[in-house]
Amino acid sequence: MNMFKVISRLAIAMTFFVTALANAEVAVIVSASNANSALDQDTISRVFLGKTSNFPDGSQAIPVDQNEGSASREAFNDKVLGKSSSQLKAYWSRLIFTGKGTPPKESGSDADIKNLVAKNPNLIGYVDSSVVDSSVKVVFKF
Amino acid sequence: MVLRKSGLAAAVLLACSPAAFSDDLNINGFMNVTAGNLSTEDISLDGYDDGVSFDVGTVVGLQMSKQVNDTTSATVQLISRGSDNYSTEASWAYVTYAANENTDIRMGRLRTPFFYYSDFLEVGYAYNWVRPPSIVYRLDAFSSISGVDVTHRFAIGGMDGSIQAYTGRYNDDFTLSGDTYHIELRRAAGLVFSLNSGDFGARLSYHQADLTLDVDPTGGRALDNLAAGGALAGVGDEFTADEDKAKFYQASVSYDNGSTAVIAEWTALDQTTALLNDDSAYLISAAQRFGDATVHLTYTVAEDDLESGVVGQVQKNAESKENSIILGMRYDYDSSTAFKVDIQQHDEELVNGAKGESGLLYNVGMSLVF
Repeated sequence: MNMFKVISRLAIAMTFFVTALANAEVAVIVSASNANSALDQDTISRVFLGKTSNFPDGSQAIPVDQNEGSASREAFNDKVLGKSSSQLKAYWSRLIFTGKGTPPKESGSDADIKNLVAKNPNLIGYVDSSVVDSSVKVVFKF
Repeated sequence: MVLRKSGLAAAVLLACSPAAFSDDLNINGFMNVTAGNLSTEDISLDGYDDGVSFDVGTVVGLQMSKQVNDTTSATVQLISRGSDNYSTEASWAYVTYAANENTDIRMGRLRTPFFYYSDFLEVGYAYNWVRPPSIVYRLDAFSSISGVDVTHRFAIGGMDGSIQAYTGRYNDDFTLSGDTYHIELRRAAGLVFSLNSGDFGARLSYHQADLTLDVDPTGGRALDNLAAGGALAGVGDEFTADEDKAKFYQASVSYDNGSTAVIAEWTALDQTTALLNDDSAYLISAAQRFGDATVHLTYTVAEDDLESGVVGQVQKNAESKENSIILGMRYDYDSSTAFKVDIQQHDEELVNGAKGESGLLYNVGMSLVF
């Protein structure tokens, strides 16, 4: 295989990859029994960055992250938090080692997060839209 | 120190026990491995010399925290430094009590919050330099203090802020230009105010303590000689430190939009004793991120401020004025490892009142968090 073929195949593969990423829709979810109906991006970002620990209605909000490397997590960090994974790690390392905060717990994949969030009205997570069902409520989409 | 080796042994035991896998025991660590080399020994900077050294900039930290109940948690951070022959000490060991959702009270051994970067002073992953510029970050000896602090967080409009007040004491040996002194800081107290709004941040702090130093005009150490000089000049009373008030001021503004970051930090020391010169030091730093690489440039200056009259004439023997330009690059290899290269042009305009030299410090390092 010559160099040109390798490069063109790589380019095609990359195009598919990027398109797949662009098409996936990610939903921020809370339990169906959570009283909050819609949240704005700023509120979600404050909860996930540990700047607030309450939902707008005053109840406790506990964010849960997907495991590192998941496509939903990359998209969430990029579009909602506006930070790269390295920037987030640096952000949390400033808080962890001072006892001023701990990052959201890594709690699995799309399906794991949906199941966890469904059972606990204090949790908030994000999943690929395809796994959303009636046990959870979508409060934000991107 | 009680927590020395036995503390680390306990930490290892704890880390190996099943409790380490329970939900509420958090273990985090960080590590910096840094090599450094000075172009000339005519200058002195961060403990490096003209041979390559790894020990000076190598630090390992292990932190364990445990939520004891809804309102109380315990945290210990054990640090082992190459500059201290890798002996282990607790820089933090405290109990946090959450008085309410926005107010925390901590008791124990705490990091003294002198500077913007104090809280994560040794967590290299949290900043771009190999280490924060030492001519501004110059109170290393007192970077931990035993006492109590209260932190209150608040939000106004779109801004997040916090107020932290602490009090405590410090009592230990410290080394200055190769001489060891016994130092005591009593009634140490301080107030830190910080505010963040979007990409902008500001921090103001004030610290004070009553300082006692075991200086003896016949002792032969640098400060002893200075005290002897003061006595000869008829101002010996000024060159003692017996519960003499020392004050420290800090102000910083920062901006970080994710790709461009700027910070300016100004600090000043105001001593009652003439043994230690008053000084001011500041840094201005800008960083630009290009994907996984970040390029940064820093200018930093420190300058002594002498008393007037005869006292100032004696202090001139210890006068210092220096500046540095640091050009560096950080490369985020993955989401928990960063490689760093810094080149520092250091110019000692005045060392002990005489004209000094200039030279370069090269640093290459790696910072991890886990």
